[in-house]
This record gives sequence, structure tokens and C-alpha cells, in this order.
Amino acid sequence: MTTIRLTVNGQPIEAEVQPRTHLADFLREQQLLTGTNLGCEHGICGACTLEIDGAPARSCITYAIDCEGASIRTIEGFDGDAPMAALRAAFSTEHALQCGYCTPGMLVTARDIVTRLPGAPEARIRKELSGNLCRCTGYAGIVRAIRAVMAQSGTPSGPGLASVRPVAPTAP
Amino acid sequence: MKAPAFDFTQAQSVPDAVALLADTARFTKPLAGGQSLGPMLNLRVAFPEHLIGVRQIEALRHAFIDPANGELVLGAAVRHAQIEDGLIPDVTRGLLAHVAANIAYRAVRNRGTVGGSLAHADPAADWVNTMPLLGARIVVAGPDGEREIDARTFMTGPFTTALDEPELLVAVRVPALSDAARWAYVKFCRKPGEFAEAVGGVLIDRPRAVGRLLIGATDGAPVVLEAPTELLAASSTDSQVAEHWTDDRLRAAINAAGIGHDPYVAQLHLTMARRAIVAALA
Amino acid sequence: MDHDIARARPLSTTGVGASLPRKEDRRFLAGEGEFVGNIKLPGMLHVAFARSAVAHGRVLAIHKPAGFEGAVFTMADLEAGSPPVGPIRVLSSLPGFKPSSQWPLARDKVRQVGEPIAMCVAATRAEAEDIADAVVVDIEDLPAVVDMLQARDAPPALVHEEWGDNIFLETLVEGGLKGDEFEALKGSAAVKVHRRLRTARQSMAPMEGRGVVCTWNTRLDQLEMYTAAQMPHINRAGLSETLGIDQASIRVIAPDVGGGFGYKGILLPEEICLAWLTRHIGRPVKWIEDRREQLIANTNCREHHYDITVYADARGRLLAIDCDSVIDSGAYSSYPFSACLEAAQVGSILPGPYKMEAFRCRTWSVSTNKPPILPYRGVARAGVCFAIETLIDAAALAAGVEPHEARLASLIEPDEMPYDNITRKHFDSGDYPEAIRRAMEAIDLPAWRARQGTPEPDGRLIGVGHAVFCEQAAHGTSVYYGWGIPMVPGHEQCGARMTPDGRLELRIGAQSHGQSLETTLAQVANEILGIDPAHVRLVHGDTGVTPYSTGTWGSRSMVMSGGAVAEACTLMVERVRDIAAHLFQVPLDQVVLAQGRVSDRAGVQSLTLAELAHVWYRQPQRLPPGVNPAGLEVIGGYKARVDTGTFSYACHAVAVAVDPGTGAVELLDYVIVEDAGTLVNPMVVDGQIYGGTAQGIGTALFEEMRYDSQGQPLASTLADYMLPGATEVPAPRIIHMETRSPYTTFGQKGMGEGGAIAPGAAIANAVNDALRPLGAELTELPMSPRRVMAAIAAAGSAAGAVAGRGAA
Ligand SMILES: Cc1cc2nc3c(=O)[nH]c(=O)nc-3n(C[C@H](O)[C@H](O)[C@H](O)COP(=O)(O)OP(=O)(O)OC[C@H]3O[C@@H](n4cnc5c(N)ncnc54)[C@H](O)[C@@H]3O)c2cc1C
Ligand code: FES
Ligand code: FES
Repeated sequence: MTTIRLTVNGQPIEAEVQPRTHLADFLREQQLLTGTNLGCEHGICGACTLEIDGAPARSCITYAIDCEGASIRTIEGFDGDAPMAALRAAFSTEHALQCGYCTPGMLVTARDIVTRLPGAPEARIRKELSGNLCRCTGYAGIVRAIRAVMAQSGTPSGPGLASVRPVAPTAP
Repeated sequence: MKAPAFDFTQAQSVPDAVALLADTARFTKPLAGGQSLGPMLNLRVAFPEHLIGVRQIEALRHAFIDPANGELVLGAAVRHAQIEDGLIPDVTRGLLAHVAANIAYRAVRNRGTVGGSLAHADPAADWVNTMPLLGARIVVAGPDGEREIDARTFMTGPFTTALDEPELLVAVRVPALSDAARWAYVKFCRKPGEFAEAVGGVLIDRPRAVGRLLIGATDGAPVVLEAPTELLAASSTDSQVAEHWTDDRLRAAINAAGIGHDPYVAQLHLTMARRAIVAALA
Repeated sequence: MDHDIARARPLSTTGVGASLPRKEDRRFLAGEGEFVGNIKLPGMLHVAFARSAVAHGRVLAIHKPAGFEGAVFTMADLEAGSPPVGPIRVLSSLPGFKPSSQWPLARDKVRQVGEPIAMCVAATRAEAEDIADAVVVDIEDLPAVVDMLQARDAPPALVHEEWGDNIFLETLVEGGLKGDEFEALKGSAAVKVHRRLRTARQSMAPMEGRGVVCTWNTRLDQLEMYTAAQMPHINRAGLSETLGIDQASIRVIAPDVGGGFGYKGILLPEEICLAWLTRHIGRPVKWIEDRREQLIANTNCREHHYDITVYADARGRLLAIDCDSVIDSGAYSSYPFSACLEAAQVGSILPGPYKMEAFRCRTWSVSTNKPPILPYRGVARAGVCFAIETLIDAAALAAGVEPHEARLASLIEPDEMPYDNITRKHFDSGDYPEAIRRAMEAIDLPAWRARQGTPEPDGRLIGVGHAVFCEQAAHGTSVYYGWGIPMVPGHEQCGARMTPDGRLELRIGAQSHGQSLETTLAQVANEILGIDPAHVRLVHGDTGVTPYSTGTWGSRSMVMSGGAVAEACTLMVERVRDIAAHLFQVPLDQVVLAQGRVSDRAGVQSLTLAELAHVWYRQPQRLPPGVNPAGLEVIGGYKARVDTGTFSYACHAVAVAVDPGTGAVELLDYVIVEDAGTLVNPMVVDGQIYGGTAQGIGTALFEEMRYDSQGQPLASTLADYMLPGATEVPAPRIIHMETRSPYTTFGQKGMGEGGAIAPGAAIANAVNDALRPLGAELTELPMSPRRVMAAIAAAGSAAGAVAGRGAA
């Protein structure tokens, strides 16, 4: 067991982890944040997608111990976030979920798309969604929901691009 | 599907990491983005006893242009997404960003690193194919300091490289293309983000006497074909360079790579090489 | 025929016919779904299984790792208990059926890779996996039976030695002309086309796998099992039979379930093991199937082989089908029944919606050293549709007519409905020719034919194709009793209770795992009681509190549970009116219930449902004697007037571009003309069609569980087993027809599976249309680039196909 310090949904926490515990299991089993689902545990399905330092990441192939100092945001941590609120409403209106298992990861990716690529054409939206599998909806409603949110004029685009982009590498 | 038990130590610097990796008592490996190692751990096909975190090492996170020769020095821990987003200086007329944008998925690109990808040496991965096409050099650090390895000889087989234990991959030196350079990098994937079944690459940069064609996603190291120097003279044209790569020459290279016996695989590689040529000249 | 019946109805915004947003969405959007993986019980331990590494072998010895003897359990341990745990053994009264014995943990033999051998328990899943990795099993290898044709004709071994062969069941279905008359028809038919076709073994791959959490409730002396399952009452029956305890001692709860598609329609060996374990060690236990277990160890679906000949007249009109079909049923028949379901269905549904003069189909359900196959969305229909529809196209080609003309010449006509077809399937209603006509118009066949006339700038080949199918749904007792299996659907019930504050609780035995029943059944309640759907709560998937049901399968829920909810609400209306009549002191016929209010006809007295419920529960002193004391709790039951099922149907039409340099297929346009009778919630219906179609596209182009000659699965991750993503699935254009079923409550028809049935056939017809100039044809699904290229190469047209074009 090793002690790590990180922020989860805005709360600073300190926790004991086994090095082999991946971030999703850490959140689900130790922090009781079960909104992040596991669909493959090898990086492909996208069900476990959440935000690390503002950018989407796979929590199944990220180890909690390697998240020292990181800021994690799970599906439980988007209260008051305008793009997420708009997406949630649109997902319901457009029937973008059925069983709901892919939905938390899908929403995190969708939020990245609408904030990072405003106005992206449908083909680009689909490409950006290609790392999130859904076995129920055929993606039709998901794509429509994302387009609808992008089209909503006056929707605050959330934190500006600068804050969600990874920090640029620089000269030494 | 949970990883086997391992220990983890965050390295603070390159020498620190090299020293930690030099521990022969335990099976020790670097952990960068974990986007290749993570799945292997979870699937229990890799059993390292001690992982050394290298992602946070400051010196690996930089990308800059070497004023001495105009080369891009790309730190091993630079992530695919940073390259995709144009956050590093571009010396390749957009080639690196184009390749980066089509690796895996955004969530993977946000964590996967150039160094991890090269060290992992999956024949179907993108940087092991792109860096030889660019004639880049891989910078590695060991107990006795740094050395450079030509990217064309870095990969020695599937999932094997010229890295000696306990060496750490620290950077890639990418030569700057001239303004006249033309390139193409095409790959055939069943789905976006899936590993490529065939890669074709072309770089024609006559001012720098470079005419290079790449056949990638083979069973091992990529095949790099260099155009004869006489074709790269100032008087020749890019098309003349490209004409050198006839179907016969491409087929011979595909056969020499040991993938010619499967007609489908051979055809895919031929198609990708041809399309790379057309795209480069377009 | 009244295709557009819904348009004649007053447009409801909350009842039947409304695209009401889903009540279940909120919790999933918040990340608050309660999937089995999220359930934690105090003191819970985790389980991992040591599984067979070989496909076929004799288990000689199992060595528990030193120091962990108390944490590892084998079948010997499970059999030592009292009562001993028995095998999964599914009996059927079908003549000639051979049952298999599947021990929850391998006993004498292993018959597939991944078969569970030892159960390992620890504080975490990771530690349980460590122990499982340390279990050593001595196995004497036996030859693996991998290919179904070889398994039947020249078996290298017997999967179940006591059978004497590898055949679960052989069936023969015949209809129409027989004997010499059939032969004469064959001899005189202008068109005869013959093909050998294959569809790949698939994994159903819901995003959530199976999973179990269970504990023994000492107060109730009852096993409590949470399990990701589609038919909790059937699981309970199966657990009772294998564990040897009575059904009342078992409560099975299916919580939120992350997709099913048939995969979660069986009793699992792992469920039996955990049920035994929790009682044995006195702690709650949990096992969550991971993706690798799902892909290599657990059930598959859809591996069909057809040797089929179709006879037609000179116009392409269908005259007869003669078919031999083999289905790879895998190692075991799962509970409640799986091994012969596909094959027996193939025999009866191969004619599809076509008329013909003679039909003969012989089927073999073959056992191999691969996981069992289960009925996957669309069951046998996806394979059947591929077989018949590609043959119709071939016959049309031979007759020199457009494929849709051949179909129009052979389909059941609307004025023939209801229609009993050649295999005695009773078609309830529909206008199949109209579906094809609308699909041809929507896809614009002439435009694609024109485009085919000039080469594409990028060298790709354009093709257009379509397929039509029917989906028998919600079929009941009359169809199933003959199988003599543990699951014969009969009557469906709904328990309805009005709460003291006037809300409605509905309890059904089916399970909703994406089908949106929490919303659509509330719409049914609204339709009858006028109650706001927001005030209706559906309880489902819990054997402890719901009526018995065979569960959610066969597109039956909207017809059966929907019918039961309607019956229960109708009974509730009567109870409400009775109470109101007493309260208002007016005759019963003077009481009306409308829009959630009960009033006297004079309009003098009026109460909301909440007010009435309040009186009933909290102010009984206001009620005069004589009021029905049964109160506001009812059980309504339903069985369709004619229980042979509803027949929804569709025509899928698709245009493709095939890249002759890589074999890649792109879908350029996709049209679906679909008729599912009355649409209870059109948004939900469209969602089912989109989702099913995406799965069908997987069947058509991507999904394939391959095995090597030793029976080793070649896909253990989602990188090897490719599921279609947003870039592979287009947005189909859906056009609805609405021909009511004469047999159901609202005219609705079951439709949950249809989308998955036709894409393989429609896309195959389009791809073959594209490849026709090269003389190439595909006869296997999926049409992977490798198969497309092989077909082109076989046609000898590969040369020059590599147009140089770039996509840098
Ligand atoms: C779903 C999915 C799809 C993918 N698709 C693609 C794709 O299309 N194209 C593609 O190119 N890649 C793809 N990848 C791989 C991805 O690009 C990885 O990020 C990359 O291969 C590994 O980088 P990493 O930083 O994550 O390395 P890690 O996984 O951390 O490490 C990989 C290996 O490199 C070693 N290593 C790491 N850093 C160093 C170092 N500095 N020196 C020496 N050894 C080191 C590790 O010990 C390990 O053996 C995909 C990954 C996933 C999960
Ligand atoms: S669970 Fe992480 S990508 Fe599938
Ligand atoms: S809604 Fe079920 S997997 Fe997406």
C-alpha cells in the first residue's frame, strides 16, 4: 500500500492504494464512485472514460498510484457544468441512451467534443466518438444530441479551450 | 481482469530512472502513459515486478528546436494529443500532427507518449513507422550517458528494439523538412483507432536528398526503401523519384519483409504504398 | 389496410403513441444506475475462476495452491454438500434430442476453452485472480471438435461420448408438394440457384457482461441473488433444480442491466457456484464477468451453414426451397434451452414472408468444443434472412429481373392476411409488397443504377441491395409447448397497486435492460387510467415481488407485459369507479374516469385519483358498507386472443461502395421501411431499430469469433473482436408503416429484434451487386476486407483493381 494525494470531483483526498489498482477500481471500490463503468479493462470500449486534469482518459489503464497530484472528474462531478447539463438534456431528448451502461463515458467524451471542437461536422463527431462503444443505440441519438448541443446558441462553452488542453511542452 | 501485483516508484530524473531500471534483482520496466502496458498488465500477459514512473520526469516533457541544426527534439513523455493539437514546434510540414491525430482515440492520445509507443515497438503502431520515414534518431540514456540510434534500425523485430537494459528512451530528434518536402502517410485500419493492418508512407525532400518510401505494419520492423541518389538530383522531379517505386519493386520489398505469402496482406501493403505515392504527389 | 392507423388516433402526448422522454434516463445520466458491479454488501468477498486452457480433455487432477486450500473449490466440494449440486441438464420432449450435462465446475471432462474448473475466493478480485492463476490442472488432451461439418460427418472425437455422435438434434420440416411432385417441380423450374453459405460465430457483447452478487438471508432463510439477467424467474427455477432447494428459498433480482440481446437469457454455471459458495462460507460473494471471460469462455451465437437450393419461375417468382442447414451449437445446451433453438427455427422460418409451392429443410444441431450458442437478437432470423435473401437475389439475376421484382412476385399480399404459410406460420397482418415499394423509392434505385454506369473517381465499386424479413414476436404457448422445455410462455401478469397518495406501482416479471419499459408501460397505464406517467413506478426483474414471467426475450415485452399492464389498469378502473360510486352515492354507470379524475356524469362530484386513494386508505369511515373490500390492488393477466405471435416486418435497402484495393465496404445510404403495428412510443421504437441495425452491421461486416484447429479462440479482446462504432454505423432513414395487429391490446407488435436481422442480407446483396462486374460473389458473413479480397481474387479480377488513390 502506498499513500497518494489527489483531487476527486473537487475534493482533495489522501488514500492508500495498491500499485496494481487501476483508477476505475480505486474510484469504484475505494471512493464508492460507481458512475464510472468498466466494459473491457483494456482501453478499447470507452465505458470508463473520465477526466484527468481536464482531459478525457481511460481509467481502466491508468493506475491510481500514477495519479499523484492529479485532478480527477467523474460523471458524479459535473454538477453545475453548463455543457454537461446541456448534453444530459439532449441525450434524453434524442434518446441517446438505452441500457445506460456506456452513458457516463459517452457523456465525458461528448463534453470533450462540444468544448474542444465546436461546430465540428457530423463526420468529425463520429470519428471522435469512435473510441466509445455503445451496443444499444446505434449511435444515432448520441450524434444527434451532440449536434443539438453544438447548435444551441448561447450555450456557454464551459471552461475555455486553454484550460482543457494539456499543457504545452516547452523548451528546457 | 486485474493486473498482477507490482511495485511502483516515481522517477524524479533521467539518472534516477536509469539507476532504478538498473536493478537486476527484479524485473523492472518504465511506465509512461500506460496505454500499451496497462492493457498488457490487466490481461496478465506482462509480469513486471517493479514499474518506474517516467511520465513526470521534467526533462522528458519538453519539445524544442535545437538551434544547432534546426532539429526538433521531442521528449519521450510528450503525448500524442499535444502533437495533434499543434502544441509543439512543427518541422515536418504537418506530418507529425497528422499522424498523431489518427492514433487510437482522444482519451488514449491524452496519455499515450511518443517514447512509450516507440519502446513498445508494436509493428502496427504509428511512431515506429513515422520516425524511420522521417529519418529521425532516437536518443537513449544509459548508465554511461546518452547515445543516438537511427530510427530505421531502432526496431529490431516485433515488440523488440535496440534499447539495452537499463536504457531509457529520452527523446526523438526529428530533422527539419525543407519547404519543398512532400509527404504522405496512409494506413488501413478496420476502424478508426484500431491498429493498422498496413501502412504506406512517402517522403520526397530533394533539397535534402531524401526520397523514401515506407511499408509499415509488417510482421516486424518497417521496410524503408531509399530512392537512388541520382534520382534526387536538382534536375529531377518528385514524380521521377516516385516512378522508381514500381509495383515489382514494392512487391519484392513486401516479399522480403516476409509478408508476401498471404495474398491479402501483400495486396493491402501494395495498395497502401501506391496510395501513399499518389497522395504525396497530389 | 390501415397502415397509418396512428395518424388517425388523437395525438396523445403521454399515452400510447407519444414519444415520451424516458423516465429511466435521469439516473443513468447522473451515473446512478445500479448495475450489479456497483453492488457492495458488507463483508463481501470476490470470486475468480480457474478455467480450462484446452478445448477438449479429461480432467485428471486439480491441485489447489498450497496455503489456499480453503479458498479454492472444485466440483467435488460442490457435490459433497447436502443436497449435492447437480449439473445443468436441459431436457426437451423434441423427439431424438440428446441432452448434455454441464457441471458448474468441470468434473470429468472439459469441453471448451474457458470452462470453469475451480472457484477461487479472496478479499479482492485481483487476489482471487492470483489464486486462480496458481491452480494447476492436469488434463489429458483429447482431439478438439472445431468445425461443425466435420463434427457431423467425420468427427475427430465425441464431445459427449454417451451420444455416439455429435448431434444434439436432427429435424426435417416439409411443406407443400412432396415426393414426386416436388421432384417434378424441381425439374421444370426455369430458374435453379444453389449456394453454400456460412455465417460466423459471434459474441453478443453487451457493454456490461454478466455478473453476480449473492448472499444468504438468514432471516428469510433465502438465497438473495443480484444478477445481470433477462429472465430472473427462469434463473430462479434453474438454480432451484441444480442446487436442490425449493424455489421459495431463492430470490433473484436483476438490477439495472447493461444490455442483454439474449446473452443474459440463461442460467450460468457461475451463478450456481456463487449460490453454493455464499451459503458454504457464510459471506456475500461477487463475481463480475470480465471481457476476456465473455469472449473466450462464455456463450456465443449464430454459427450457421446452409446448403440451399432455390427454384423459381422465369420471372423470378419463388417456387420451392430445398435446404440442408447445420448449426454449431457448441459444447452444451444452456438452461432453459439453447442447443436446438436456432436449427429448429431455421427449419420453420426459412420461407420468410414468401409464398411457394414446396419447402423442405433438414437441420442438424451439432455439438463442438466451443461455447454454447444462445439465441441472439433476431435469433435464427439473421442467418435465415441472409440465406433466403441472397438466394432470391441470385434467382432474380438468373431470371434477368431486378431483385425487388422477384420479391414482389412472391410475397404474401395484404389481402391474403391473416395468412398461414407453408410451414404453418400464422401471419397476423401487414403489407409486405408496399414496404418494398417504399424502400425502393426511398433509396432511389434508378439513381444508383445510373451511377453504376460511370466509374467512380476513386475507383470504388457501387452496389445497391435490399432484404425483407418478418419477425414473429411474443409467440406463446401454442408455439412453445411442443418443445417440452423448462420455459413455455403462458399468461403474463401485472400486479398494480395504488398508493395512499394516488401513485401507481406496477409489478411485472419481465426485465427492462434498455427497452424503456419503465416509460412505455407507464404510457400504457396513462392510456387506461389517465394517470400522469411521472406518477407510475415500474418494479421489474425481482422474483421476490413480481409475478412469474419467462422474462424479456423474443420481442415479447410490449405485447405481453403491455397487455398485462393494460388488463391490470382496466381492473383498477373498475375498483376506482366502484369506490367512487359508493362515495358519490350514485349508480356505478354514472361514474366516469377520465384524465386521472373520477367524476359523476352530472359533473357535480369529482375526485383526483390521489384524493380517492386518500379516502380509501386513510378515511375508510367515509365509505359505506358494500364497497368492494379488495381495494386498490389488483393482478391483471394477459394472453393474446391468438397466441401464435405478432409479425412485424421491414425492408432494409442499402447502397455501398466497395474498395477493390483493400476490400473495405462503406455504407453510403441506408433506408429502413418498418411496420411494427401501433407504436406505443415511436422514439423508443426508432431507438430499437437503430440499435438493432448497428448490431446487424456488426454481423454483416465485422464480428467474428474465430477458433484455431485446436479450438483455441482467436479473439480475447475487443481489438480482435471488433464491434461497430459511430464511424461504422450510418444514421439509417426510418420510414414507418403502421398495420395494427388484430390480436393485441393496442394493435402493437413486438419489434425489438428486427433491426438486427436484415443488415447481413441487405449489405451482402449490395456488396455482391457492386462486385458483379468483377464476377465476384461473397457467400460468408462477415464480409471482412479479407473475404472481399479473396472473392475478388477468386474471380480472377484482382489485376488492375488497385487504383492508385490517396487519402493522406
Ligand atoms: C485502444 C487503443 C488503441 C490504440 N491505437 C493505436 C494506434 O492506432 N496507433 C498507435 O501507434 N498506437 C495505438 N495505441 C497505443 C498508444 O499509442 C500507446 O500510447 C503507446 O503505444 C504507448 O505509449 P505509453 O506512453 O502509453 O507507453 P506505456 O504503455 O507506458 O509503455 C509501453 C512500453 O514502453 C516502455 N516504455 C515507456 N516509456 C519508455 C521510455 N521512456 N523508455 C523506455 N521504455 C519505455 C514500457 O516499459 C512499456 O514496455 C493504442 C492504444 C490503445 C489502448
Ligand atoms: S473499460 Fe476502459 S476502455 Fe473499456
Ligand atoms: S446505452 Fe447500452 S451500451 Fe450504450
